[in-house]
Amino acid sequence: MKQPTKSVGKAKGSPTRKNASGAPAPSRGQFVNTGNGPLLQPIDIGHPEYSAVIEADTAFWSLVPKEQLADALAGELPKAYKKAAPKFREEMEYLRFGLKPSAVYFNPTERCNLNCTYCYIPEKMRRSGSHMSADRVIKALDILKKYFRTTVPKGNLPQIIFHGAEPMLNREAVFAGIDAFHKDFRFGVQTNATLLDDSAVEFLTSREVSVGISLDAPTAMVADRTRKNWDGQGVYRAVLDAMDRLKDYHGWSVICTVSSENMKQLPKLVDFFHEREVPTCLMNILRCTLKPSHAVKPDDASAAKYFIQALDRTYELYQQTGRKLTVGNFANILLAIIAPTARRLMCDISPCGGGRCFFALAPDGGMYPCSEFIGLDEFRGGNLFKDSIPAVLETKPFKLVTERKVEDIDPCNRCAIRHFCGSPCPAEAHEMNGGMHRTGAFCEFYEEQVRYAFRLIADEKAEAFLWDGWDRGLKDTFSINAL
Amino acid sequence: MKKSTKKAVISYRKSCKALGTGLSHYILMDRKAK
Repeated sequence: MKQPTKSVGKAKGSPTRKNASGAPAPSRGQFVNTGNGPLLQPIDIGHPEYSAVIEADTAFWSLVPKEQLADALAGELPKAYKKAAPKFREEMEYLRFGLKPSAVYFNPTERCNLNCTYCYIPEKMRRSGSHMSADRVIKALDILKKYFRTTVPKGNLPQIIFHGAEPMLNREAVFAGIDAFHKDFRFGVQTNATLLDDSAVEFLTSREVSVGISLDAPTAMVADRTRKNWDGQGVYRAVLDAMDRLKDYHGWSVICTVSSENMKQLPKLVDFFHEREVPTCLMNILRCTLKPSHAVKPDDASAAKYFIQALDRTYELYQQTGRKLTVGNFANILLAIIAPTARRLMCDISPCGGGRCFFALAPDGGMYPCSEFIGLDEFRGGNLFKDSIPAVLETKPFKLVTERKVEDIDPCNRCAIRHFCGSPCPAEAHEMNGGMHRTGAFCEFYEEQVRYAFRLIADEKAEAFLWDGWDRGLKDTFSINAL
Repeated sequence: MKKSTKKAVISYRKSCKALGTGLSHYILMDRKAK
């Protein structure tokens, strides 16, 4: 797949602004922040010595010593920006509008053996929904294999993530699919870990399947508040047993959902994960798509405070032991700043990855832009077994998501960090805040992460928060270390 | 008298071929993946 050689031009905000008659404004763009000059926004990052200067549309950034800020804006910085801008703009356009699907969240069952407080799948489905039969799983994978030949470059494998509800409740069908198509996809399973017995772990690890499990706190008392079975019994102990089984495997990770119930525990959770040699975790902020989750919505600023304390703790442990615990969702924001094309997650980009980089498949073959929308009928774009995938991607339910962009959302349209945050999540914006042109549930949580990321860059600590080998295959395309 | 050291402006960017393989709720561990 070649990157386009010129801008695909779907984002608003061309470099030369026009007046009401459509003619270019009579400004040569010589001056920062006036006329057709570059919009270089100075941002306080909470660092004693540095401020950030950001051009939002191209995601250009620079850290400038505070006492040099005025000189930099009047001098060499805009020149450096103008030189880099065309390439940066092209890169962002491709990343935002040029990518094609390469992954599917495959829900092989509607059922779950747990009733977690914040689940985005409706309770009725999880209690008594249907499984997809093994034959249908095989048929679906065959359809997807053929489709991905048209979108994924040769030499790369598309990704299938068995997701939930709880995929291990339909274990035979999932395992049959993995065995039949192990050469055609990179497989992952996201599970609540309660059904990961010895034989399941042996099956998955021997086939190099990535395994993601869920745990919200280092103690049963807190973890069991949100993650429990239908009888209200917590599953903390069962998850720890699964962690012990996975300990020596290279391909596993843990997701923690940050809510009002566990946010104060995040720094201790880092110690807990690090001690158990978890290679990577995600500390995902709660998604408020369905109403029951609102009861445990954390305060934006408080969640950010504890999250950053947790990040600080990963750094301390790395200094003490030489072993990293990468917090994947934060690493992704760092990457959005220093290497946007190397992102691994596609929530914090606008449009998000839903419906354009990946989509979700329900057990009845229903196709949705993302798992967040399963259960919301108006976002069902079609059926994998009946409809053509490219046609489904063009349906209104998918377009509602793929055409949601920060330029159309207030205050994102004037926010300097709009391409480091992406204004997640469309499902939340639609269900909680009343429309696609609204923000999601959290702003400051992302503002504080970006400020923290810039402080790390200023202090030359960013590397400690990224995966080992994160820059493999990356090229330096721009650099200033003096003006 | 000590000479004051002027701090440098920092700005850089790295790039690769964007494949868009990123997900959202889940991170695929690929340390050994080809």
